[in-house]
Amino acid sequence: MEFLNSILIKPFADMVAAPDFLLQVLWEGLVAGVLYALIALGFVLIYKSSRIFNFAQGIMVVFAALTLVGLHERGVPALLAVPLTLLVMFLLALAIERVVLRPLVNQPDIILFMATIGITLFLVGLGEFIFGGENKVMITEQLGIPTGSFTFEPFGGFVSIEQKDLTAVIGSGLLVAALLVFLNKSKMGRAIRALGDDHQAALSVGISLSTIWVLVWFIAGVIALATGIVWGARAGVSFALEVIAYKALPVLMLGGLESVLGAIIGGLAIGILEKLFEIYWGQPLLGGNTETWFAFVFALIVLLFRPQGLFGEKIIERV
Amino acid sequence: MTRLLKTVLLATTVAAGLAAPAFAQDSVLLPNLSYRTGPFAVTGIPLMNGQADYMAMINERDGGANGVKLNYQECETGYNTEKGVECYEKTKAEGAIVTQPWSTGITLQVLPKSNVDKMPVLAPGYGFSAMQDGKVFQWAFNPPASYWDGASMILQNIAGGNLDSLKGKKIALLHLDHPYGKEPIPLLESYAAKYGFTLLPIPVGLKEMQNQSAQWLQIRREKPDFVVMWGWGAMNAGAVTEAVKTNYPMNQFVGIWWSGLDGDLKLVGEKGKGYRTLSWSMTNPDAPVMKDIKKLVVDTGKSQINKEAGEYDWVFYQRGVLISAFLAEAVKGAQANFKTKVVDKEQLRWGLENLKFDDAKIKELGLDGMIAPFSTNCANHTGHSGAWMLEWNGTKFVKASDLLQADRAAIDPLVAEKAKEYADANQPWPINEECKM
Amino acid sequence: MLYRTAGQFKTSYAADHALFPVRQDAWLLGFILLVAYVLFPLTASEFTLNALLVPVLIYALAALGLNILTGYAGQLSLGTGAFMGVGAYACFKLMTIFPGMNIAVAIALSGFFSAAVGVAFGLPSLRIKGFYLAIATLAAQFFLVWLFEKWAWLYNYNSSGAIQVPNVSMFGLTVAGPGAAPVVKYYFVLLTVTLVTWFAINITRGRIGRTWKAVRDMDIAAELVGINPMKAKLSAFAVSSYIVGISGALFVFLWRGAAEPNLFDIPLSFRVLFIAIIGGLGSILGNYLGAILIVALPVIIGSLPAALGLPLQSATIEHLNVMIVGATIILFLIVEPHGLARFWAIIREKLIMWPFPH
Repeated sequence: MEFLNSILIKPFADMVAAPDFLLQVLWEGLVAGVLYALIALGFVLIYKSSRIFNFAQGIMVVFAALTLVGLHERGVPALLAVPLTLLVMFLLALAIERVVLRPLVNQPDIILFMATIGITLFLVGLGEFIFGGENKVMITEQLGIPTGSFTFEPFGGFVSIEQKDLTAVIGSGLLVAALLVFLNKSKMGRAIRALGDDHQAALSVGISLSTIWVLVWFIAGVIALATGIVWGARAGVSFALEVIAYKALPVLMLGGLESVLGAIIGGLAIGILEKLFEIYWGQPLLGGNTETWFAFVFALIVLLFRPQGLFGEKIIERV
Repeated sequence: MTRLLKTVLLATTVAAGLAAPAFAQDSVLLPNLSYRTGPFAVTGIPLMNGQADYMAMINERDGGANGVKLNYQECETGYNTEKGVECYEKTKAEGAIVTQPWSTGITLQVLPKSNVDKMPVLAPGYGFSAMQDGKVFQWAFNPPASYWDGASMILQNIAGGNLDSLKGKKIALLHLDHPYGKEPIPLLESYAAKYGFTLLPIPVGLKEMQNQSAQWLQIRREKPDFVVMWGWGAMNAGAVTEAVKTNYPMNQFVGIWWSGLDGDLKLVGEKGKGYRTLSWSMTNPDAPVMKDIKKLVVDTGKSQINKEAGEYDWVFYQRGVLISAFLAEAVKGAQANFKTKVVDKEQLRWGLENLKFDDAKIKELGLDGMIAPFSTNCANHTGHSGAWMLEWNGTKFVKASDLLQADRAAIDPLVAEKAKEYADANQPWPINEECKM
Repeated sequence: MLYRTAGQFKTSYAADHALFPVRQDAWLLGFILLVAYVLFPLTASEFTLNALLVPVLIYALAALGLNILTGYAGQLSLGTGAFMGVGAYACFKLMTIFPGMNIAVAIALSGFFSAAVGVAFGLPSLRIKGFYLAIATLAAQFFLVWLFEKWAWLYNYNSSGAIQVPNVSMFGLTVAGPGAAPVVKYYFVLLTVTLVTWFAINITRGRIGRTWKAVRDMDIAAELVGINPMKAKLSAFAVSSYIVGISGALFVFLWRGAAEPNLFDIPLSFRVLFIAIIGGLGSILGNYLGAILIVALPVIIGSLPAALGLPLQSATIEHLNVMIVGATIILFLIVEPHGLARFWAIIREKLIMWPFPH
């Protein structure tokens, strides 16, 4: 009885008792969720157009952020460093397509997946070789991102919202909106979606596979840079950032590997739910740190009922 | 493909042929299992730089220890235990006379082997606190202070010298969820029981080091009177930024000596004002030793330090210098005692067991004001120098307390208990019965 | 010439299906075993034994376990590291609860614990497929590592949260722990690995192995011809996790000597997966070739600059090392996606012809 009470009733009583704290938890969860959604989006775009499960998305985040900060350290003005970083990410996309993907066309999924892990290792080494391993400060102020915080006082408590988190949420929202417009309205965007629907048919109407691949990897690079700026502003830029790639995987399971919408909704849902679970169940009952596995277990349970994720394409198998 | 294979084969044969270590008669191999890569590199780099630069300076200025070159070599582990074991075996095969494992995880693996391999383990300010018991841990040394010393000193300082004043208070221990972070828990628990405060351990997983919002939400909910931090690597920066965000009063936030990296606090700058960290080392750029390093190593471009970031003045860099000074002194002590030039592992063990950093010695070495006096003996491998509290003033760390001393009466019984526990779990474990202290 | 098959006649189906239809294969195997059992122990230095030979064997064993699941039964798993951890902790608990237990028995038993956990986490594979399943196995990976950290009973409430291997004797000889001689440990590992490999070769050739392959190639089709996919998948999870668990117990007891929970974290899983894939999925030999490459390459690269007299910082070497390993993986995937085992198969085909192509 005591046990059931602590699982089923007490957490909710706590939520009601301190609504300002609950709001803060929800906000923190939302900010984390936005970041998960961004990374998941990078995965989805590449998976959709090439069936490659791109494990390197996490290290691309680090690499983009490091390049930006590294360029600024070498005296490039912040606003010039951003386009230069984008150029680097474009060259990276080009190189990956030429050197890695093109020779591996038509290989089984798992081989391509392994290749992206190879890319990850290579970029880790290259990044540390060029920029060194020490923690770097994200050039938040130089990029014009406000750094103060708003404090609200609802229900007699307080909720503090960092301006850079707010910027992150709004900025990511705009980025996603722009991306959706691009995918749905522009010719290139439609070509990407066509490839996702049917490779053969898309090729037969004259869509160039290699151009599209470079393009998607570049878009993934842009998303990586955005993620890197946002996350780096919160905790500094270092190789420990790489682990956030793992956080995007349950989002993909939940949302479905091919669904842009799924990535966004899944990301937000997991960000908020894992924070709520950690604060109200994990810390009091399980000794904390449940965020490492909660999202995976949650997604696994959902998957048992919908094996293709919430928004994924239905898997049809033929013999 | 065949050409590639041939190249690899050729390269391997060449490597095998040349890998036989070149033994020069007038040098001693003092390797360091460094970590300049990986998530902990942030903390590692300045320390390793300090260690390397002191050795380089001694070789440059004095031609080594009494003419014997101190061959300082790094073997990169990336704080990874697997690489650590590999490095340990590799340096051992090359004739190393000491091992500096750095990671607590690597220490754990190396410690039991040290008895069999007769390899001194030097872990200044880290490793097991129970290593203080030199009779049990004959080959392991953690001068000048152990984590339990640190925990005790932090408590005394935040209690204003009167531990009874902690009654009814709540103290959160924000720690890395790793053997290192768990080290102070047994001592703090016994203190909590004795003085009636609540201890709230808050673990930070290795994957959450940079995203501690859940931990800091917990701190906000629990409203502890003090937050004590056992953090390493990227965790420190994450914690300090979150503390600023949560509006946690900085003057109630205290870190152990590995949580006082200048670079981490620079991230928050002014807002981190009031954050304190315990430290057994002090910065003193005017100490003769530092001047020599500047003249002979830094200014000649032989150092790897990041001059723009002002690394030379960092607490960690100068602490690295001290760590190498312990080792170099142990070599010299062994040389004098055994009247030999090239010391071996057993002789160095004697040297580490008889370190004497008294005021005269500190002055002679030119380490003025950088460390408090301490000495080791066969029963006490730590030395207990005591430590100071440093406070972040917005741009750098400044001294914020007199020399603190740990509460021996509380620690020593625990050391004896845990050391015995370790020896019992690892039977047969040799105990140094000759030591009568 | 070397591999001439002329004159080796088969007079029965049994002979044609024998493990070594070509006599030279058996000789080669004999030679390899001779090297492993006699030559290495006699000549290898302590460093070679501790940092090269023992880890290669243990990693190869883990990869063998994974290969049964991924290569033979087609279920991609990213949770190998955690299953190794289950084996290691089970062995540790067995040794502390029953102090007199023979270590060989403890290791053999510990495999059953990881097999049970493996089957539990394998249940979703009945509904979930492909990358979804791969990510689902990550749930096992992260949950189990978290459990190793939080469940203090597993490490006997040790204050550091790590497990330590005491000196363990078997028939009066110290085989594990700090006091054990490297050669003894090597023989222990080698013997275990030989036994398990023999078992694996036979099980994959037999009826169970064939049902695995059928499920791998297309599970619906396999079901239509009367194979029970649940039985096939779960048995693959069980056998695979058993072997992985044993390798985990060896990993800690015969090699590392101590372990903290994050040792079994995701990098270990990836490492084993690399070995299995670079070696060749669906091959037994490949695991050994892959392990030799993945484990030995960094060690060799690490010692090259010093040997060649290049004045490189140790950290720089490590950076280059990571880059080279990454590039090597990509290179091998491009050159031969079916792994090193296929390389050997091609070389063998060529040797059979050589020097007279036709």
